[in-house]
Parts: sequence; C-alpha cells; structure tokens
Amino acid sequence: MIVADLPESELARRLGGAGLRLRTGPLVTEIRSRLLEIADGVRLHYRDHPAEEPGGFADFHVRLVLPRGPRRWLRPQVLFQFDGAPPFYPLPAAQAFPVLEWGLNWCVSSHCHQYLVVHAAVVERSGRALILPAPPGSGKSTLCAGLVSRGWRLLSDELTLIDPGSGHLVPLPRPISLKNASIEVIRRFAPGAVLGPTVQDTLKGSVAHMKAPVESVRRASEFARPRWMVLPRYEAGTPARLQPLSKGRAFMHLAESSFNYSLHGRRGFETLAQAIEACDCYEFAYGNLEEAVELYDRLATST
Amino acid sequence: MTVPDTDIVSLALRDPRALPGWPLARWEALVRQARRANLLSRLAVLLDADGLLQSVPEAPRAHLDAARTVSQAQEEAVRREVAYVYQALAPTGAEIVLLKGAAYLFAGLPAARGRVFSDVDILVPGVALGQVEAALMLHGWATTHHDPYDQRYYRRWMHELPPMQHITRGTVLDVHHAILPTTARLKPDSAKLLAASRPLAGEPRLRVLAPADMVLHSATHLFFNEELGSGLRDLADLDSLLRHFGRQPGFWEQLAGRAREMDLTRPLYYALRYATRILRTPVPATALRAAEIGRPSPLLRRLMDVLYLRALRPDHPGAADRLTPLARHSLYVRAHWLRMPPVLLVYHLGVKAFRRESPGTA
Amino acid sequence: MRWHTIPPDDLIWRELDGELVVRNARTGNTHLLEPLAAEVLRALTEAQAGLTVADLVARLRDDAATEDEWSGAIEAVLTEFERLGLAEPQEP
Repeated sequence: MIVADLPESELARRLGGAGLRLRTGPLVTEIRSRLLEIADGVRLHYRDHPAEEPGGFADFHVRLVLPRGPRRWLRPQVLFQFDGAPPFYPLPAAQAFPVLEWGLNWCVSSHCHQYLVVHAAVVERSGRALILPAPPGSGKSTLCAGLVSRGWRLLSDELTLIDPGSGHLVPLPRPISLKNASIEVIRRFAPGAVLGPTVQDTLKGSVAHMKAPVESVRRASEFARPRWMVLPRYEAGTPARLQPLSKGRAFMHLAESSFNYSLHGRRGFETLAQAIEACDCYEFAYGNLEEAVELYDRLATST
Repeated sequence: MTVPDTDIVSLALRDPRALPGWPLARWEALVRQARRANLLSRLAVLLDADGLLQSVPEAPRAHLDAARTVSQAQEEAVRREVAYVYQALAPTGAEIVLLKGAAYLFAGLPAARGRVFSDVDILVPGVALGQVEAALMLHGWATTHHDPYDQRYYRRWMHELPPMQHITRGTVLDVHHAILPTTARLKPDSAKLLAASRPLAGEPRLRVLAPADMVLHSATHLFFNEELGSGLRDLADLDSLLRHFGRQPGFWEQLAGRAREMDLTRPLYYALRYATRILRTPVPATALRAAEIGRPSPLLRRLMDVLYLRALRPDHPGAADRLTPLARHSLYVRAHWLRMPPVLLVYHLGVKAFRRESPGTA
Repeated sequence: MRWHTIPPDDLIWRELDGELVVRNARTGNTHLLEPLAAEVLRALTEAQAGLTVADLVARLRDDAATEDEWSGAIEAVLTEFERLGLAEPQEP
C-alpha cells in the first residue's frame, strides 16, 4: 500500500492521529501533524512511497506542531519534535514542509550509525553509483536533480548511506531540495519534473522540493556499488570539465563530508578506503546544467 | 505477561533473554525509551553477551548496532582523554581519582560495557585544586560558564571547578574536590575517600574509589543530583556495581558501616531500595537491614517512592504518567535543597529561571 | 637518535595513488601523507629497531636533491610525525 492508495480522509486521519508510517528506503518514520502544508507535501512528494500499517516497527517518531504561546496566532511557527523533544528552534509555519525534510535528514544523520552516513548526493546508472559530496552552494543538488531528470536513479540528494560490512550504497529516495536560482533552472531543464511550492525566506533563501521519480522510489531496495566520486563546483560561465582527483585527496574529502566517520573508528577508515579504491575520482566544474549532464552520460557509457 | 510500557526498559534490563521474542511494536517502544534513557547500547551489550543479538528482529537490531557503535567510539575517546589528563597532571604530583564512567572503564568493571560516556570526572585533593587548574589550562583546557554567578556557584557552593573544556578536542573535564558541596547537609569526608582509593595497575597516582565508596558515590550522585534525566541509567550503573562487588567477600558486611562513616546512609538506603525494586538487584537481607539506619520517616519514604518510582523511568513520553512532570520537578527542587541551604536555593533557582534559554531547547 | 613509529596495532593505512591515508588509533585522527612522508612512514614501520635521519636519507634519496636537502625534508616530516603522534624519537 502506497500513500497514493490512501483516500484523502485516511491520510488526514493518520497524520492527525496516530501517525502516518512512511517508508523511505530502509527506514520507517511515523509522522504526525495537523498542518495543511505537511499533508499537502506528503501527498505530493511521497505519493509513491509505502505507507506501513501499525504493528510493525517504526524507526523514528516525529511531529510537527505549532508551539504554544501568543505567537501561535500572530506569527505562527512550526516546531519539529523527535520523540517529544525538539532538536531545533521553531521556524515560521509556512516552512513546515522544508522543516519536515530537514528534520528527517537530522534523524538519519544523528542516529543511523549502522551506516557510514556521508553528506553527499548519490545517483546510479547501470548498477554503478556516482557520489557527489559537496558543501552547500556547490551546485550538488542542482546537478543531482538534473541527472535524475535524465535517467539516473536517485538514491539520495543529501545522505549517502554506506553499509560498513559490504560497502553497499543503500538508497533513501526522498524529495530533492533546491534553493534560490536552482529552482528555476530545474523547472526549465525538466519541465516534466514535479516540484512543490516555493517557500520564501528560510535560512537558506527560497526552497522548493523536486519529487523523487517513481522508478527511484520503486527500486529503493536495490543497492548500488560506488564507481565515481566527484566534487562538483558550480561557477557561472565555466565550461563543464572533469579533472582527475587523487584518491588520497578524495578519501579525505569523503571523510570530512561524513557525519559519523569518527564514530566508526577503524571500520570507518576501511569502509571509506574500500569505496574510494572502487571509484574513479574527479573534481568537476560547470556553469551549464545541460552540458554537465551530457558529460556524465558520456562518462557512464565510456567507463 | 503485561507490564505497562512505562517500565519496559527496566524490564528489559532485568531479563534480556526474553527480548528476542518480543513483538515489533514492543521493540519499537523499547528502542525509543532506551535511547532516551541512554541505555540502548547497554541492552545491545547484554544481548550480545548472551549471544542473542542475531535473534533480535532486523529493524530494531539496526538501532542496537548503531548505539553500540557510538558507545564503542566514546569508550575509545574516554581512554584517550584520561591519558591526556594524566599527562597534564602527572607533574603536579596530585592524586587523581577517576570517577563514574571513566573509573568503571579503567577498572575493567562490567558497568562500563555499553555505557554512554560524556564528560570525564575526576576527584583531586582540595589543596591541589589551584595547581590542577593551572596545569590543565597549560595543556589546553579552558574554563566554561564565564558568568560570575556560575563561577561562584561551582567554586564556592558546589564541589567542583566549573567544567573545563579542551580548546582543540572539545572534550569536557569535571574536576571535583568533594562528592557533595560544602553547603550540603551531608558531610562525606573527601580525605577518607582519597585515603581508601586504589591505584590503577602501574600508575600510583591514577586511582579509583574503593568498591564501597564507588557504590556510595554512585548512590549520592543519583539521589542528590539535580538532573534526573539519566536516573535509570545511573540506577543501572548502581545495579551493575552491586552485582559485581557483591561477589567479593566482605563487601556487603562493611557497606552500611562505611555509609555511616561517610555520612551517606540516606543515599545508600535509597540506592538499595530502588535498585532492588526496579532492577531486582540481588542484595542480601542482612545488607538491606543494615542499610535501614538510613531510612527516612515512613511519610517521607512514601513520598520518595511516589517521586522516584516515576522519576527513575526514562525521560520519555511513553514512560510518563500525569504525575511524572511534577515528580521530576519536586526531585529537582529537593536535590538542590539537599545540596544548598534554602536561602541560597531560592536565589539560585531564581537566577537560573531568569536566564533560561528561549523555547525550543528542552 | 632513532625514530620509531607507534606500535603497528595503532596504525592502519592504505596506499592510494602513491599517497598514504593513515589512521592513528591513539589519537583517532586520520591523515593524508604525501609521497615523501608516505615513504618515511613505510620505512619506519619496516624497521623494528628504528631508523635515524641518516638511515632514512640513505634509503630514500635520489639525485633530484642534495643530501642536505633530503635531510632537511626528512627531518621536517619526522617533526610533523611527532606532532601528530605517528612516530617518536628515542635517545640511543
């Protein structure tokens, strides 16, 4: 049973009551909220995701509420709660869906230490995965959205999960978050893509989410193996260019981009080394998304 | 057997062997509460010790594995940190007594296994405090709580330096010179604690408390401390210590006597009372009777039961009933009262409330 | 003065494209060593009795630089290793 199969009233009943148990890849999150933005956002972005029945096991329990106090009516805020405790300060209520997404990211990066969790996008083609670690503003999400609109499978746009024992990449397909100018870029690049409403004035500027393609969601239980690791950097006017990156440097970038590398100790070192050894590593600069995506298509077919 | 979900963590600790058979919904409640109580990794270790980890259903098992990974990393971090502390303080010649988690770890005690560690706590002689602080600062630790009120609170009224944080590693060190503040009603003598302390193999100046003192310190920390967020975790420590030391000849016999000598009979009474009731710690009847010297009046005892049996559950919605917030608050006020005279208490709580952070922090 | 690495149990490394990534279990830190440093570390791990700067120069040098330049470079590497806790000098 996927979210789209739930009648509107049932979805509202679950969200407003005991919770909607949403499966994303290996994880089930129980989401509770009476906010309209959440119901709308879930219906749009998670329509293809499984809605689990109660009685199973939910990994996380989150709630988005309007905190008490006089602000409740004047300038409503939204508060994200994890098991009844709020890890962040409240934000304006209009940002409820982005807050849910950030909150879900936080759940994974703070708790999923059964994996090595890297702050990177990861997409897959023909069984081989491309990992894109990068700090904010590097154009990683735009590039990820572009690739995913042209046939690459989305594993994740923010959280690369590496299983330490096997080295497998574990998919966690969820909406891709786009900021500021990227929103318009992707609208033009992929007119068929499903984008949610643009939310203004967040800490990051304006934010919108692109729905994960249904194929990516359906194949969420298919692992992938790493094949390329690329550090992207967006710079207006730059022609798309791949430059080989030493594996040593790539290793350090990957370690620095990991949320929990140091928690894994020796095993973390070995897991990253194994991943890097399997990859061709590059630095990548680009100014035009079309050009960038074509370059990756050539990379995928030629290597 | 139906045990209300409010007590499933203590139930799980008492009998980990029943856990693999639990339905997923029960596991879900257990993982949530145990995580909040900082006891998830301990459960993982207990299950692993019985060879049962693989029998746990896959979904909850992932959380046990994750918690275990964290506690192993913390264990390594504590080992490192103690080595750095020792390196910094050895030239002062002061005796350094490790307390709590760091002590359990270095003494090889079962209480260390699967433990969630945070700060390192040490006890040093009061006369060495100045030297110790200076040596730490030389090696990169800096004081925290720069507010003059807080500084006074820690130094003059409490029994410790304000927590010291290392500027590059970010780790926190709590330096105590007594186990209760000088303003507290109970007056355990630190010199006696130091005198009875035991050196770690090969390092005469790196020490841990004697077994009875370790138990008494743990009991005092639990029952006279402000923050009861980790009450059940601290009780689990106590349970582990009592089970381990309880096997040593003579331990039970001298426990109550030592408590009387250290003016800690009341915390010992509570420790044995609640450990036996909540975690079924095996305590000989003779030891329980001997600990009765610390018994409060029946009325107070009944009140404490109401408060502590609630407050010693995980600080999680699933483990709470209507009275739980009040219970926690009452114990917070009580713990402060036990440590500070009433006039100071009102001032302190007043200042603390005024300076509370904006909503959003728990 | 002979130099030793910390015990091999406390070090794990991988060679990647001529550089070395190494994890020091004592500090918990991970480092990237450029080729010369990688060679020095490797040489030290192979020598049970430790090595002097002169030993290392003899082992590693080529004609691209003078003996003094090699000495200087290797000493700089060793100083850095000491700071990072990867190697220790021992008086004879």
